[in-house]
Amino acid sequence: MVGFAAGLLDAAVRASTVFIFAALGEIISERGGVLNLGVEGMMLVGALGGFATTVVTGSYWLGFFAGMALGAALALIHAFLCITLKSSQVISGVMLTLLGTGLTTYFGTDWVNESIDGFPQMTLPVVGQYLVEIPVVGEALFRSTAPDFIALALVPAVWWFLFRTNLGLEVISVGEDPETADTMGVDVFKMRYLCVLLGGAFAGAAGAHLSLAFSQLWATGMVAGRGWIAVALVIFAQWRPERALVGAYLFGLLDALRLRSQGIDLALDPGAPLAGVVNPLLDLLMHPTIMATYPYIATIVVLVVTVVRFDDSRLGAPSALLEPYSRETD
Amino acid sequence: MNLSVELEAREDVPAWLVYGTPVFTVVGALALSAVALVALSVNPIAAYGTMFVETLTNPFGLRQTATRTVPLVLTGLAVYLPLRAGLWNVGAEGQLYMGAVVGTWIGVNVSLPMVALIPLAILGAGVAGGLWAGIPAYLRAKWDVNEIITTLLLTFVAVQIASYLVRGPMQGGLGNIPGSAELLDAAKYPTIPVLEVHAGFLVALLAVAATAILVARTRMGFEVTFVGSNPLAAAQAGMSTFRVYLFVFLVGGAFAGIGGFSEISGVQGRLRPAFSPDYGFTAIPIALLGRNGAVRVLLAAVFFAVLFVGGSRLEVSYGVPAALVDVIQALVILCLITAEFFKRYSVDVELAAESAPADGEPGGAA
Repeated sequence: MVGFAAGLLDAAVRASTVFIFAALGEIISERGGVLNLGVEGMMLVGALGGFATTVVTGSYWLGFFAGMALGAALALIHAFLCITLKSSQVISGVMLTLLGTGLTTYFGTDWVNESIDGFPQMTLPVVGQYLVEIPVVGEALFRSTAPDFIALALVPAVWWFLFRTNLGLEVISVGEDPETADTMGVDVFKMRYLCVLLGGAFAGAAGAHLSLAFSQLWATGMVAGRGWIAVALVIFAQWRPERALVGAYLFGLLDALRLRSQGIDLALDPGAPLAGVVNPLLDLLMHPTIMATYPYIATIVVLVVTVVRFDDSRLGAPSALLEPYSRETD
Repeated sequence: MNLSVELEAREDVPAWLVYGTPVFTVVGALALSAVALVALSVNPIAAYGTMFVETLTNPFGLRQTATRTVPLVLTGLAVYLPLRAGLWNVGAEGQLYMGAVVGTWIGVNVSLPMVALIPLAILGAGVAGGLWAGIPAYLRAKWDVNEIITTLLLTFVAVQIASYLVRGPMQGGLGNIPGSAELLDAAKYPTIPVLEVHAGFLVALLAVAATAILVARTRMGFEVTFVGSNPLAAAQAGMSTFRVYLFVFLVGGAFAGIGGFSEISGVQGRLRPAFSPDYGFTAIPIALLGRNGAVRVLLAAVFFAVLFVGGSRLEVSYGVPAALVDVIQALVILCLITAEFFKRYSVDVELAAESAPADGEPGGAA
């Protein structure tokens, strides 16, 4: 049982990294007032770009940065359309997911059979070699790949950036009330470009982590909906980095459980009362395909419960999300 | 030297822009996609010739185009109707799946003559798609829960539910391969004589006609458009946004659901997991291109159907991945929203020799 728990935890932590990267990026972008539904596409571009760069140069670090750059490049299109051209953020985002999916499928076929030496397993520098000895959680938390540690470190970093630095407060101000921010001397357009580009780079990093550390291969459509889960996760986390970490672990755990659900037997003894009802229901609820819907359902429930029980302001959504900013021209 | 860009909101849009937009959009997207063709050393002119001319000049290509149009126009309407009321239905794909599930179930399990079975299956598929769209509609109408997010997330739920059903309770006929049993013959659309296209095509045309009449000629259609252009004024005029929001989603979702059943009944014969090549997402650019009327939605759907058919032809003759179609689709949207910008604003670019006065930064739009 301890072995199973440790294995499950290990898989959950590994699966959560990609959500952490993507959700943190989405939080920055949305905090600045721009919804990015193109995460899935940006992750795909980051995954393929990172992989191809690693194959060509042999350096997974170069690949990782190339993935980030490509994610940011796609985000630049989003920024130009939504901020400068004031287009609908929804349409532009869906378009970028289509574009990312199309481009990576189109150009990705040649890379499917390539192999790489991706990020190796390592213990957390300095203290990791002692901490891995902790039972059950030690291996899961302290022996991982470099991007896993980077993602973890980014959680407090993004929190500190958003809530404790001037730049971060300017980000929040343009997401909440761009008119006032503009009056106070904040360059709304520049700030929103910054947020969207950072968000794209994070999404690219999530994709690169997937192909360079998590799977160490490129497969067509390998992001497989994780980008949409990241969008959901941001709402689930109510736009806060620390809650996104909890959510990422939760969704990662669901992912890990789903792949292992055949090995879990919770069924009641056939003679027990209600076993006739409970067992088929458990079968249904523990079916891997049904379990894949839980992150989406959980997000909708959080969204609805928060809006119904409290009001929009308690949800924590940036007030100016989805609204393009037009400066009054003199 | 200083580049100054002045944006001014247009009061009225010149006619050449109104009619030129769809043309510019399509030509622009094809021109940009040519880069992807050149990158694989394919001559874009020859490739587009194969895609469009060959598809549209032979009967087989035309029949395939008509067949592909059916799910595209029905999901297109599912996005178009809520859009009229100012709402986003990003989840037509999920409604399509729900319709396909229920329609398939009826078509496999109910023994009736064709004249009764097909209408029953269409009804079931429509109700399923409508109810699935009704969830986000109710949440939006009642509590103002953002419909973009809920329609989108429910799509993934629907796809997984369908995938579960064809691996479990609805699996049949294929051994261990996921998929439902084959539809009864009485549940398969007959072929229309002469056209040699399945009868779902007529159903789709009827849906277009019904939508056009609904929007232009009925009281409800007027309310939908009114609410879409000014919800506050509509509320003050005594219109119920609650009713309008539910209406557009229920009807739209029903169309998407019928589209799902049509694809199974007219083309695929049985429900498989991931049977749709994202028809419900292609519906978004279709509704955008056709946002001014149901007939334009039909035209846009035909255009994307040609792309789909031509894309697979391209794959066969040139070895170019059919994913090129996804790229073209995305670029159509890209060009479209760029064109929208030029419709809304007139742009003056001036090269000023002296720097702008200190009171404002040049180029408010960065």
